Amino acid sequence: MAIIERPRELAPASFVSPKQAAGSFHRPVQTKGWKSWFFTIDHKKLGIMYGVAAMFFFLVGGTEALLIRIQLAQPNGKFVNAQLYNELFTTHGTTMVFLFVMPMAAAFANYFVPLQIGARDVAFPRMNAFGFWCFLSGGIFLYLSPLLGGLPDGGWFAYAPNTGPIFSPSHGMDFWALALQITGIASLTGSINLIVTILNMRAPGMKMMMMPVFTWMILVVQFLLVFAIPVITVALFLLTFQRRFGATFFDVKAGADPLLWQHLFWLFGHPEVYILILPSFGIVSEVLPVFAKKPLFGYKFVVFSGAAIGFMGWGVWAHHMFASGLGPISVMVFSLTTMFIAVPTGVKIINWVGTLWGGTLRFTTAMMFAIGLIVEFTIGGLSGVTHAVSPSDTQQTDTYYIIAHFHYVLFGGAVFGLFAGFYYWWPKVFGRMLDEKLGKINFWLMVIGTNFTFGPMHIVGLQGQPRRMYTYKAGYGFGPWNLVETIGSFIIALAVGTFLWNVVKTNGITGKKPRTAPLDPWDARTYEWMTTSPPKEHNFDSIPVVSHLDEFFHRKYAEDANGNMVKVATGEEILADQIAHADKHIHMPSPSYWPLVLAVSLPIIALGVIFSTYLAVVGGAICVMAAYGWAIEPSTADESDFENPAGPSTEVTVHV
Amino acid sequence: MLGGFALTLTGCAGNAPQDTWKPSGKYARSIDNLQEPIFMAAGVVGLVVFAAVVYCIVKFRERPGHDSIPHQSHGNPKVEISLTALSAAILLTVAVPTVNTLFEISNRPKDTALEVTVIGQQWWWEFQYKTPGMEGIVTATELVIPVGKKVRLSVTSRDVIHSFWIPKLNGKRDAVPNRVQPLNMEATTPGIYEGQCTEYCGLSHANMRQRVVALSDADFATWVANQLKPAAKPAKVKDATTGELVDTPESGGEAAFIANCARCHQVNGLVDDKGDPQNSKADEQLVSGAAPNLTHLMSRSVFAGGMFDLSLPSAACSPKTAKYTAEHPTGTPDGCLNRADLEAWLRNAPAVKPMYSIQNKDKLYRGMPNLNLSEADIDKLVAYLTTLK
Repeated sequence: MAIIERPRELAPASFVSPKQAAGSFHRPVQTKGWKSWFFTIDHKKLGIMYGVAAMFFFLVGGTEALLIRIQLAQPNGKFVNAQLYNELFTTHGTTMVFLFVMPMAAAFANYFVPLQIGARDVAFPRMNAFGFWCFLSGGIFLYLSPLLGGLPDGGWFAYAPNTGPIFSPSHGMDFWALALQITGIASLTGSINLIVTILNMRAPGMKMMMMPVFTWMILVVQFLLVFAIPVITVALFLLTFQRRFGATFFDVKAGADPLLWQHLFWLFGHPEVYILILPSFGIVSEVLPVFAKKPLFGYKFVVFSGAAIGFMGWGVWAHHMFASGLGPISVMVFSLTTMFIAVPTGVKIINWVGTLWGGTLRFTTAMMFAIGLIVEFTIGGLSGVTHAVSPSDTQQTDTYYIIAHFHYVLFGGAVFGLFAGFYYWWPKVFGRMLDEKLGKINFWLMVIGTNFTFGPMHIVGLQGQPRRMYTYKAGYGFGPWNLVETIGSFIIALAVGTFLWNVVKTNGITGKKPRTAPLDPWDARTYEWMTTSPPKEHNFDSIPVVSHLDEFFHRKYAEDANGNMVKVATGEEILADQIAHADKHIHMPSPSYWPLVLAVSLPIIALGVIFSTYLAVVGGAICVMAAYGWAIEPSTADESDFENPAGPSTEVTVHV
Repeated sequence: MLGGFALTLTGCAGNAPQDTWKPSGKYARSIDNLQEPIFMAAGVVGLVVFAAVVYCIVKFRERPGHDSIPHQSHGNPKVEISLTALSAAILLTVAVPTVNTLFEISNRPKDTALEVTVIGQQWWWEFQYKTPGMEGIVTATELVIPVGKKVRLSVTSRDVIHSFWIPKLNGKRDAVPNRVQPLNMEATTPGIYEGQCTEYCGLSHANMRQRVVALSDADFATWVANQLKPAAKPAKVKDATTGELVDTPESGGEAAFIANCARCHQVNGLVDDKGDPQNSKADEQLVSGAAPNLTHLMSRSVFAGGMFDLSLPSAACSPKTAKYTAEHPTGTPDGCLNRADLEAWLRNAPAVKPMYSIQNKDKLYRGMPNLNLSEADIDKLVAYLTTLK
């Protein structure tokens, strides 16, 4: 439901509220207190909820990684057994991809896209809430599996036929397949929502080519999601039917070709890589210009290379299958396309270095993480090029060299970008500064840990250590490097711990009075900084008209007679001006019960698919009820629902 | 950085039997010749990027008293287009030899000396020799080839996807059920080349190993001749007092083998005391429908899917000694049998190698179950197995 601004006098008293007509629940009105978090449809609250939940799953997935590293610290490890190890690497991959990086990117997208384009919420706020609850219920559903029959053990890639009912007889892969179908709904609804928001709800004057790069990258990612998620959903659906209802899509005995799964999985899986990395590319493309005090070098190149990656990303999936036996012609084609997707990726590196070049660099923690991303991602990108060399990839694939590659891309790339985002936007979201000193400790521990953990994996991979092995023998040269990797992984854990301590320390959780962040702590350039920190529920008192890329910067600075940029206004002045011209009547959508109820019905149905048709019927009934409730609930809260009968129209109050 | 890793690698790879950068055969050599310059080039590109970043950090860092706003450049299309074109050109330079090498290692060699079907199953490999004159040779875990000759493998699987990989001889090829996929191999020097299954195949994926043993032409001929022989039936001996035929440990072991093992494990030429052939019916017992053929077990250097050495690790028995290489074609040298691991395996296989060794709903096993053998049976079985040279 879009945000409608209507003058109060246009709401006629005779307007028939659907609430009265259908007799459904009133809409909840709380915007404060714990209840407000359950029924909220505020993109900012949902963004924070995405972030907190994703951070929780990051710690879960990280713990799994540490257990894996303890097991592999030396040859013939006995810390966990083979079955548990196989479950750990399956859930580590699944958790980090689907329950950490994707939702953490969704957290940033949810929070900042409306702020960056001058919107007061997303286009479909209730659907936004529904997406969050789907993600969370999918994640919780996945982790119900150890209580109800075992963790999934088929790998995050779940290659058929090893994940079929014969070879993976526990319920683990059922939970896996159904959980990802549920989180897929979150991704799909979220992507449609953000696409509509970005295309339709930009501030007056903001052309597409004036959008902040982060918003651009998020737009590309949402298009990738819209097309990629259905592919994996089809695959998961087929797998579920094979496992639960005796279908034979991947049953070799019935004549199935197991490569069908691989094509479906990687046709999703490779665009997924860009889904994971592009949001972080967007974040560092925001951070670098701010702390270099100059615009992004080649904005158009960055935007178009991002879009080019979005298209070319669909033509490279079979490079995950160079050893599968596709035949040399197919391998050649995918080898070449893979090499050439390195071009638009390289363009981004060139543009980031170009942004630094000639700037005035301030090494805040956010900036350090952004520069860290350039370096670490370059290593991952170059090892990626060596995979495109298909003959050489047949030596490297399924070894630790691959693990090194994609952890440099996804940890050194995506996660470094997310941490840059945490430090950069923390004052915007919470109105408080994270401690820069702790931030720098966090950064250096992270850099050291990353390179100690994943650097030696290049070496043992090229020495022939295969991945997905619960143990390895002595005498192959793997032992010492694996010990280094394990030590590195604990340094990463220390880095993450430092971050969490930083959050605790600077946000008043220890009882110490937190430091209020200045309005514009970084001398930022983009639109989201033109409002209070944290922003009010309606984001902007009035929507500033856009005339430039980096609108905020151009309101603060102007050329003097000599052509030098000089400061002509402060953030406070710009905000005061905005408040002075505040819209008198801002109508924000009301919270709703139904997104939560509808989302909770899905894991109940999924449990029914595994255990009992009756449960599925119950879940289905809740689902239908919630869908009807959603459809017929009043379009807004009734004025009488409010304790203060001033009603849903918020009188603008001014805080500076 | 990658170049640095490569250098570190060469420095540290003294004892790395699966090193991908130490090829010992034509195909692995082609791959190595391709990847070495590409790694170096990648390293150089990396260093250029890092140098540029470091230069920026040093040169353009904010200095005290210098708070003016730098020139607000939005980019330089000429620089961008030329750098983009340069990176495309580098990739094009890499693409040409890549495609050449790809076809070079994939095409069927004209002078193939040996054809072998390689079949993966949970959690071991079977090798079926298909070249005329060698039909009927079936081995497990250890693929024996003649040195300096081109070998054409046809790789497939009986259950899930596995991947056949001997790093020093060639890249990987997945073993996919319902597909038969080619892989070329050639070893330039005699020796043992190790590898592991590299596609995740379930519980004991880490314990699914394979090796190629490359023998000289003469040794290979000896090996083939030996492999083609059926197993000999251990003779019973006449009791000195009663004059009746009584079991030796070996012949008793054969009876125990027929009673406990022959359902799944084929031994060519195995007959019971009545002379009835005892062929395995593994498909009635196992999901994959196959267990290792044990006709010439003692001619192998490892067992249990490569998890355990069949020879003791002492210097005298090491598979790398000349003695071993000389005797290998016809069996593990006397006194070198790794009896402890073999007995432990017979005592309770799933306790020493993780396997799904309980019957599933179709009454089939995955991997070898615990046979609950008595110690006496185990001793006799070991005695019998040592006759399978």
